Amino acid sequence: MLRDIFKSLGNFENYGLISMVIFVIFFILLIIHTMSLKTGDVDEYSRMPLDDGAKEKDEIHDI
Amino acid sequence: MENQIFYYDNKIVKNFAYATLFWGVIGMVVGLLLALQFIWPALSFGIPYTTFGRIRPIHTNAVIFAFVGNGMFTGIYYSLQRLCKARMFSDLLSKINFWGWQLIIVFAALTFACGITTGKEYAELEWPIDILVAVIWIVFGWNMIGTIIKRRTQHIYVAIWFYIATFVTIAVLHVTNSLAIPVGLFKSYPIYAGVQDALVQWWYGHNAVAFFLTTPFLGLMYYFLPKAANRPVYSYRLSIVHFWALIFLYIWAGPHHLLYSALPGWAQSLGVVFSVMLIAPSWGGMVNGLLTLRGAWDRVREDPVLKFMVVAVTAYGMSTFEGPMMSTKTVNAISHFTDWTVGHAHIGALGWNGFLTFAVLYYLIPRIFQTQLYSRKVANLHFWIGTLGIIFYAVPLYWGAITQASMWKEFTADGFLKYPNFLETVTQLKPMYAARAIGGSLYIVGIILGVYNLVLTIKAGKFLPEEGASAPALAKAAGKRGSGEGIHRWLERRPVQFSIVALLAILIGGIIEIVPLYLIKTNIPTIASVKPYTPLELQGRDIYVREGCYTCHSQQVRPFRSETERYGEYAKAGEYVYDHPFQWGSKRNGPDLSREGVVNGPQYRPNSWHYNHMMDPQRLNQQSIMPAYSWLISDDLNITNTAKKIRVMQFLGVPYPPAYDSKANDDLMVQATGIANDLKSQGIQVEPGKEIIAMIAYLQRLGKDVHSANLPTASVIRK
Repeated sequence: MLRDIFKSLGNFENYGLISMVIFVIFFILLIIHTMSLKTGDVDEYSRMPLDDGAKEKDEIHDI
Repeated sequence: MENQIFYYDNKIVKNFAYATLFWGVIGMVVGLLLALQFIWPALSFGIPYTTFGRIRPIHTNAVIFAFVGNGMFTGIYYSLQRLCKARMFSDLLSKINFWGWQLIIVFAALTFACGITTGKEYAELEWPIDILVAVIWIVFGWNMIGTIIKRRTQHIYVAIWFYIATFVTIAVLHVTNSLAIPVGLFKSYPIYAGVQDALVQWWYGHNAVAFFLTTPFLGLMYYFLPKAANRPVYSYRLSIVHFWALIFLYIWAGPHHLLYSALPGWAQSLGVVFSVMLIAPSWGGMVNGLLTLRGAWDRVREDPVLKFMVVAVTAYGMSTFEGPMMSTKTVNAISHFTDWTVGHAHIGALGWNGFLTFAVLYYLIPRIFQTQLYSRKVANLHFWIGTLGIIFYAVPLYWGAITQASMWKEFTADGFLKYPNFLETVTQLKPMYAARAIGGSLYIVGIILGVYNLVLTIKAGKFLPEEGASAPALAKAAGKRGSGEGIHRWLERRPVQFSIVALLAILIGGIIEIVPLYLIKTNIPTIASVKPYTPLELQGRDIYVREGCYTCHSQQVRPFRSETERYGEYAKAGEYVYDHPFQWGSKRNGPDLSREGVVNGPQYRPNSWHYNHMMDPQRLNQQSIMPAYSWLISDDLNITNTAKKIRVMQFLGVPYPPAYDSKANDDLMVQATGIANDLKSQGIQVEPGKEIIAMIAYLQRLGKDVHSANLPTASVIRK
């Protein structure tokens, strides 16, 4: 039976199915990862574009 | 940790912004000329450099790689420095990236106008320029990764993930699709042929859309939208899922460009399934973008930057719904080869890329010039004219596409094609083409207003080449995962490892789809009657590629009764095995040509007809929109490279007899003289050594091999 399974997996018609299974597993792990992120960290990350480290205008050195 | 003071490089941002505006105008004006040629073919001006087939690649490449490409670099160079709280890794690399990219664009425009092309859509550049593209792209990636490594933030923000995916994927796509054997400095043959070439090309073509026009702009969306709205991203968790799901799925979708073609069914099915699945991450991204504006919608009414962004993100949502829909076989049977595809592409290009690019420019130019936007009113006018332009552009094309597809498929009660003359289905569309040109003109007027507004903004401001910033230095983190640190959390701070994982994610789809086509013989059944092109036909084929005939004519009959009745036998994988490159085309402004040479076939025309048609298409059909190719009649065929071409073909596996290169030109002249004599018998005097003879030889060869074979007919297959 195991041999038949491997033989079947080697058949390129099944590549799509195998790939979808890979994607679904990958997707579930991804969801678990994102859900496990700490809310504080996520909030900090989502604010990153708002803090670009630019100095106030009077601090800018125009060189 | 001590606060460090550093300076963002705004010069490189400014240079790319200027280039974006310049090439945007050029690319779209060329597009308008193309649109007008559909109404007045005389606008080809009777010279080779301005015919549709040559300037269409100039338009597509100018808009994609020059306008959108420079816009992408503008946004990346601006946002990457600020997200990393670091100056770019190397000013020299930035400059090489900028000037190298502009040089590539100039080379592209010149070579395409001269007919120097590989004949593969969106990958038309010949091999020396392809190498230059690869070098400049590596310079960009090197500079980007270097900047990320020297960042002053622990976490790498999600926008940068999209930039990384753009870099690694475009590198893989470009190199893989550009593999070719040179015949000379300006001519090469791809290593792939026929079905394999088609799959690699559309794997590249579709993912150029995905990873050049989509992922970098999603990165820009994730930076500039929160910035302009002054609100954090709606859901960072969703952005993580968006990123990984999108890059994993996108790479599979290429075969949806080849539905009902000779591509094996399993590959077509993969393309369909993954295209439909793509809706989920795409819309996840769109929703994440729009919801970032929660609580800030009142500002959309006032702020032109947000207006442009909202329409851009909405256009992204429309395109990413429409794309999967067009990827289903039912819709594709109608939409493929029609203007529906053109409309779809322009919703993405004008709405998503064009509007987001201008949102970015309206946002950052006043900032780097330390001033306010010159006129909000003009920006709003740009917005409304541009939006109307997109609608006037796309709606007539959708209308025209469904009209034309219906006419192609309509049969009389007696079972005959109702519109057997392809031209009837084209003339019907002329009002739609006129409306499309009006839409395009409106969009260009909007762009000119935008340029005017930005130029006056620049004049009113004072450029800040070095923008000061400060941030604490990043504490050196351990290379290994810390205790309790998940794999992804570790990856999120390791740019090189992150790039490798992103590369693996995009490679899976490509490998699974492409490799079996090479390893498993049954994917492309050979047909014994299919022989290599004769030297004269090979030269003629190269002229066909040079003139960009594939931009208007397909060579791929789909297995529909409406197509087999109109053109002849449907396409078989085995008939293209010597086609380096494949020339299936993606749009039918004229009829399919793959059965053109089948004597007694529905498309057959004598040599004299082809001669007169090339000389003056309107003399044969007053309504024809095909440009004249009179130079083929006056120009001598260059046969000095025939032997080299044969040798390269032999190297690629085309079974010419040993040492055939030395006598190829003898055979060429024999065949050419035969055609010239036939024309003479029809009262047409032309020397055998002219280009038109080679072109006629090629056209008369098309489809002959399959029709001389004892193959099951379409009707048998359908049972």
